[in-house]
Parts: sequence; structure tokens; C-alpha cells
Amino acid sequence: MELLSPVWPAASASRPAARRPPTLRGARIALVDDNLDIPFTTHLETLLAERAGAAVRRLVKPSGTAPSPSALIDDAAGCDVAVVGIGL
Amino acid sequence: MDLVSERLNVDDYDDAVELFYRNGWTDGLPVVLPTRRRVEAMLASVKRDPQESLGAVPPKGGAATLEKLAINAVMGGCLPEHFPVVIAALEALMDPAHNLNGVLQTTHMCVSLIIVNGPAARRLGFNARDGVFGNGYRANAAVGRAVRLALWNLGGAFPWDTDKSTLSHPGEYAFCIAEEEEDNPWRPLHVERGCPDGSDAVTVFACEGPHSVFCYGTPEEMLHVLADSMCALGNNNVHVLGQTLVTLNPLNAEEFARRGWSKADVRQYLWEHARRSLRDVRACGVVHEQFREMERDAGRYPRRYDVDNPTTRVPVTATPEDIHIVVAGGRSYFAAVLPGWGGFGGFAVTRRIAWSS
Repeated sequence: MELLSPVWPAASASRPAARRPPTLRGARIALVDDNLDIPFTTHLETLLAERAGAAVRRLVKPSGTAPSPSALIDDAAGCDVAVVGIGL
Repeated sequence: MDLVSERLNVDDYDDAVELFYRNGWTDGLPVVLPTRRRVEAMLASVKRDPQESLGAVPPKGGAATLEKLAINAVMGGCLPEHFPVVIAALEALMDPAHNLNGVLQTTHMCVSLIIVNGPAARRLGFNARDGVFGNGYRANAAVGRAVRLALWNLGGAFPWDTDKSTLSHPGEYAFCIAEEEEDNPWRPLHVERGCPDGSDAVTVFACEGPHSVFCYGTPEEMLHVLADSMCALGNNNVHVLGQTLVTLNPLNAEEFARRGWSKADVRQYLWEHARRSLRDVRACGVVHEQFREMERDAGRYPRRYDVDNPTTRVPVTATPEDIHIVVAGGRSYFAAVLPGWGGFGGFAVTRRIAWSS
């Protein structure tokens, strides 16, 4: 009996993790603001800039419960480090 | 017919059923086996390219090609004539307004309900009357399950993995109703939402399971109990607005209409009266308050409500139009309310059903 598979073959490609930057001082950090806890995100932005000396680029998602738009992901990918989620 | 899916060679029915269990390709129930003949019959009903994709199903992004949808529709028990309804439901679910990615992975229990409208609902045997949310009707069960299996096998949000639903509800197996349009004094849902009279359409809306409302008497008496049920503390609408669904049975609707109430009148009354004071809401604890503040900070909670005043009575939706009303069920004294996910998404989306000529 021949049947058809209901799924796509599992993606097998895996990429090695990027190397950690030696310091955050002067690093370009993308801070993805999930538009949920705005005061907390602002506090984190301040800490990263003032305490760590990073150049923070805050990228605001339209919704905290939907994926980031591709333009936002491209923006974040252009930075040295990205904070892509904040747990509540 | 040029199909690209991997071929699975099995010895017999029992082996095939177990293969689907072993690979995690089913929802916990046995499936109808997707033979090439059955899948081709499904695809023949729409006369479209089997490799046409409706998009990447979140969260894992499997392409919702018509071929893969047809395979899952066979597994769910669909007949070929059901397949255009499955496709319309997937198109609606994939609309960004529904936020399927969030619906499939939230800790909330919402599941996307499929509501079928139009003459096709009766023609295809969808149940819109007694026991409408229950079992016993192939069209409701098979279309509902086909959609869930497609989300399962292409989207891959599984419990204990990325589906974080704390409790979920039985609609995860199949959650599909039709609206009763003949024994209904009002315009059907899809026409209210912009489809032509006499057209066929599917509306999706992510919500809790139906909560029974003993709803009988004068319009004011019915509205009194409906409004109270809609604003029970703990449902997400009370805390973060969004959309909600009310299902009235045909006798309820007839009584409203007989007394001169339009559906818009009912909706307006419910919006004005399904409210809780912030004092009540605050008694639920600080987390609820934090969510309300988060929504306000993000601009999603209307600023016209003074959220610092404990006597402010907050509605369950931002506008009356966010209260959806469907007529379905037996002629009796029970209605149902189905609160939504809140302001986070799961919003109603309607798509016409495309029939091949």
C-alpha cells in the first residue's frame, strides 16, 4: 500500500552559533521591543547604554504575540548583538 | 497528477495507522489513510496547482501547499466537496489579523473556531442546529479535524513543545460549526462582514469553548444574563479587550426580532452592559493590572477609559463591532458565550469559499 506523507522532510541544516563579542562596550545592540512591557524594556535599554556602553538600536514589534516583520529582522541582523526576547 | 510528497510503503492498514502514530503525524486518533487515489480526488475538486502554497504555517513554517492540505484533509475524513471549505479556512487563519502564530502557542486556551456560512453549509451537511458544537456530523467533524491536522503537521506547534496552552480545550481535535441561516431573522455573519448575499464563506475566530447561558424570556432578561456571562472575571476580554463571540439559538433570535431588536441593537446593548468596575477587576490581583497597563502603554487600550478610577466600568471589547453574534443551535433556552484571547489576536477573519466551475 502506498501512502503520501502529510509533512515536509525535517530541515537538517544547522548553523554554528556566532562567536560572542569580547565586550559590549561600543557594540551595536539590537533591542527588539516586543511591545508588551514597555517600562521594563526602556529600563533595559538604559542599562545597556549607560552601564555597558553599547550603542542600542531599539526595534519595536507591532505585536508581542506575532513574529517580527522581516524588515525588523534584517535591521537586527545588521547589529553585533541582538536581544530578541524578554521574559515576563 | 504531479505530486511531490514522500511515498510511504506499508504492508497493511494496521501498520499504516501505527506508522502515523509513531511519526507523530496524528492528533491522537487514527486517521483515514492518505492514498494517492484519495489525495488526487481531493485535489481534483479544486482544479488548482497542487504546489500552490497558501503560505508558511507557523511556528515551524511548513508550506501549506494544496497537496499537503489535501493529504491532511483525507486524513481528517473529508470528502472532495469539503476541500474548498478547508482551503478557505486556512486562508482565513493565515491572515495576519488572526495572528495564528500567537494563537497556536499562547498559554491561553483559545482555539480557532471555524464558522461556515452560505447555502453550501446546508448542501454539504454542516450542522447548524441541535448540538451544533458537538459530534455526529461528518462535515463539521471532518473539516474541523482536517484544519487541525494541517496545522499540526505543517505548523508543528505541539503541547509540551511550542504549544504553550496551559489547558487548551477539546476544540483542538475539531472546532467547526455552521450558522443557521434559514431559521434566523437577521443577516448572517459573513454578509455582515462584507460578503454578498447568497455567497459561501468561512469565518475563523480564536476563542474558548462554549460557556452555557440559560437565556430565556424577554429581550431585556436575555440580555441581562448574556451580559453577565460575557464579563466573568478571568476571561481575557475583561482584562485586555479584544473580541468575543455570542451564540444565540434560533428561538432567542426570533424573540429578539419579534420585539423589534436588530442584531446591531443586541450588540450595542451587550457592549454597554457587559462591563466590570475596575474595583472588581483589581480584586483579581496585580498581574491583571500589569497586563492592562501594558496594553495601555502600547496604545492598544483606549485612553477614554480612566484606568486610575476604581468606579470606571470597562467593557469587554473596545467597540460594539468586536462582539460577534452567530445564530446556531436548537430552538431552546440556552445560548453560549465564547470569550476570545483578548487584545493579543485571534481576531475574526472571513474568506469566501472558492468553488471550481
